[in-house]
Amino acid sequence: MDDYKFLFKVVLVGNAGVGKTCLVRRFTQGLFPPGQGATIGVDFMIKTVDVGNEKVKLQIWDTAGQERFRSITQSYYRSAHALILVYDISCQPTFDCLPDWLREIEEYASSKVLRVLVGNKIDRDDREIPIQVGEEFAERHNMYFLETSAKESDNVERLFMQIAEDLMKQARMTNVPRYDPNSYNVDSSSQESSCCSRLT
Amino acid sequence: MVTLKDANYSEIEHQCQLELEKLKLEEESLISELNGMLNQRTYIEDKIKGLSRLMPTLKVMKHEAQELVTTINDISDSSEKISSKIRQLDLARGNVDECLLRVNDLIDLEICSQGVQQAILDLDYEKGAAHVHRFLSMDQSLLKRTANDMNNVTNMLKSVRTLQDAASQLRAIVEHKFNEAITNEDLVSVERFFKIFPLLGMHQEGIRDFCSFLRTKIGLTADKNLKSAISTPLADKRHSIIYADTLILLFEGLARVIDTHQPLIETYYGPGRLLSAVSILQKECDKQVKRIVLEWGKARQIQKKIQQVSETSRMTSSGSFSKIEKTDPKDLDIVIGEITLMHFRCEIYNKFLQRKVLADIEVGISETEQKTKSIKTLEQLILNSDLSQCKHDLLSHYLRLEQYFMEESVAKAVNMDSLEPGQQTSSMVDDTFFIVRKCIRRSISTGSLDGICVIINNACRVLENDYCDILKARLKQGYPSGYLDLTQAYNVLHNSIQQGRLQPGDTEQSRTAFIVALNNADISTEYVTALVDNIMKEIEGACPNMNTKEQGKLESCLSGISAVSAKLSEIIEYGIQQLKSTAIKPRVNPWVDTFMNFSHQLSEDELSAYEAGESFVQTLIMNLETLLSSFKHILSTNNYELFIQVLTLEVTQRFEKVVMKSQFNRLGGLVLDKEVRSLAGYIVSGTYWSARDQFARLTQIATILNFDYIEEINDYYGNADGAINWRLAPSEIKTVLNLRTDFKSEEIKRLRL
Repeated sequence: MDDYKFLFKVVLVGNAGVGKTCLVRRFTQGLFPPGQGATIGVDFMIKTVDVGNEKVKLQIWDTAGQERFRSITQSYYRSAHALILVYDISCQPTFDCLPDWLREIEEYASSKVLRVLVGNKIDRDDREIPIQVGEEFAERHNMYFLETSAKESDNVERLFMQIAEDLMKQARMTNVPRYDPNSYNVDSSSQESSCCSRLT
Repeated sequence: MVTLKDANYSEIEHQCQLELEKLKLEEESLISELNGMLNQRTYIEDKIKGLSRLMPTLKVMKHEAQELVTTINDISDSSEKISSKIRQLDLARGNVDECLLRVNDLIDLEICSQGVQQAILDLDYEKGAAHVHRFLSMDQSLLKRTANDMNNVTNMLKSVRTLQDAASQLRAIVEHKFNEAITNEDLVSVERFFKIFPLLGMHQEGIRDFCSFLRTKIGLTADKNLKSAISTPLADKRHSIIYADTLILLFEGLARVIDTHQPLIETYYGPGRLLSAVSILQKECDKQVKRIVLEWGKARQIQKKIQQVSETSRMTSSGSFSKIEKTDPKDLDIVIGEITLMHFRCEIYNKFLQRKVLADIEVGISETEQKTKSIKTLEQLILNSDLSQCKHDLLSHYLRLEQYFMEESVAKAVNMDSLEPGQQTSSMVDDTFFIVRKCIRRSISTGSLDGICVIINNACRVLENDYCDILKARLKQGYPSGYLDLTQAYNVLHNSIQQGRLQPGDTEQSRTAFIVALNNADISTEYVTALVDNIMKEIEGACPNMNTKEQGKLESCLSGISAVSAKLSEIIEYGIQQLKSTAIKPRVNPWVDTFMNFSHQLSEDELSAYEAGESFVQTLIMNLETLLSSFKHILSTNNYELFIQVLTLEVTQRFEKVVMKSQFNRLGGLVLDKEVRSLAGYIVSGTYWSARDQFARLTQIATILNFDYIEEINDYYGNADGAINWRLAPSEIKTVLNLRTDFKSEEIKRLRL
């Protein structure tokens, strides 16, 4: 069963109710469960995907958005290979909180971590954050950017596949998929450039 | 003419002949057919005879069959008649039954209406309620129909009205009496009227009022308990966990109430009603838990502690080591213990509640849809309760404090690091792993898998960053070789003493520090493995029913700890390389280089003189022995093995180099071969791993130099019987052969390898 070559940890963060659990459910199970209760602590899912001819195992950590679970969720930042920061395009406050989330990522995550900004719920017609605003924010902070809809399954597969491909490329460059926050100097330059390129 | 005729005749004759032949054949076949028929004749006759015998029987049968048909028709007719009769009978019986029921109802109605008033007057509410219950269990529409069918309507209607009046009267009385009993705290009456409610069709009201009553009782006890907790003197033995005690008193009280009243509810109200009872009690539970946690937070100054802790960690992470008031991790120990206890108890109570109500739903509600709905309501009740909120808050506090505790305690262990004489490792290893293990064990006692995972994650961080960094930093200081040239040594020493950094004998201290750090890293690898094994077992013991997802979560976090081993191995490798460049190379190289001081083109006399005296290899082995023995007891077993490996590699490589720079004759080669063998023998004997492999190249070189003549190579090369697995390339073999002064280079060139 464990015939995968790469194992990556992907952690989803963002305010409560932006649809992190729905994104994960959509990707791992193909479901959109309406009326989802708030996540307690962290949830953990696994999906193995094919990138090229290689099997890549994605360990997806779906964290609770509520403040009182922060001490739990923060402890997963350090070992993450990729962090997906999610906001709700129909809810301005979730976008306004992004700088706080970035501060937290800065403090707890490895500087090597691949960071992705996701605007979710594009199926809704009461959009409050124009796509350009999200794009701009992502560009300013060296993040990938993508808008998704977990409900309509828009861009969800692409989001995770892109992350898997990118992490694999990165791992190939450094040989071992390690997450050692102390040795980032070695390949930080290559990392930087791959960060700047954006999903098209 | 004649001939023509003749010809004609003969033609005709021939035709006739042919016809005749045909006829003959036909005749023959006809005869055989006839014969066949003739043969069958008897058989057919028999059949005909048999058939004609059957004829009369058949006639009889036909007749009988006709008779049977008529009979069956008759039977079916009569049975239809019977069944219709039975149907009529059934209907009649039903009517009789209904009639009986109605009569019974009427009689009961009569009795009830007469009895109920008397019962109310007698204050026998049970009896009255029983009458009302009987009345309520009657089919009201049937009663109306009966009334229409009867002549004496007024009498019956009167009874109905009486009973209806009585019912509402009783309801009012019971409710009043119940409330009165509550105010008087008359437990017997409370229970008495609680049982009457369902008889009057007041299930919901009954549960609501009764549970509200229980609620106030629980509230009063909880108030008292909390007050006594707050006023508990500091000297009290249980002062440090008094709030956890208060919490458990509350939960035990609640559990007792549920346990004792569940049978009562089930008996008088039917199963499936526990959820509505529990939801009322949960309100009180929530209220009290909130109060207890609030008072606890005040008494233990939790907010202040959390704030200090997060400030400290922010300061350290931003690198400014200003002397803010740091909380001693030891001071947090007790309060952390109390939180785990409190959290665990909340967890246990939630589980208890879930188990109880689920069992009740399972028994009481049969309809699937209703059941799922009830289960969902229960889940929401637990999830959204203030109790759960408080539980989450407690866990959050716990995690913040525990993380701080672990970090600071490990830092303390590192700062207070000391080396007992005669020990290979220093105190920080045991201390650090003791602390990490303690914290993880404590997290297991919270009963929350999420909590356990966070502390494991934190342990990874502390070990991999803080702890490993210290070890690495110590190794980075290097292992002072002590072989510096004198001026340099003097300068270093002088500067250091001036700056007050170095004490005399400091080199020895730095060496010890280096070796101890290396040993620490080695032992830590073992400790990491043991730690993972132990906590895995403990968690399995504490959370026996993990699902695959939870299992995966845990394993993923634990694999983080295993990754610390990889980091430790890197550190050990780094240290060994340091040793190699300062302790091995500078010594081994000059020792091996003395090989060049000896001539390797010996005459017989020189050979015996050489062998009689102190040979090169004897001196080398002696020197190596001194070097190895100086490390043997101070290095841990694994590290010592690594040390020998590196040493061997260095010696063989250097040896090879000096051999390649020398020139040999036959006897010189012989001596070399002997010396290589004894060196290899010495090193192999002192280690567990196969050092022989590292000697392969050198041994092969010595073998070549020990040849009697060039062609001997063919015995060892290619498809020869004595062919060996060469570590030397063909060109290298030729280079080595060229070291023999007595081998002609043209002949060597001509060799085909």
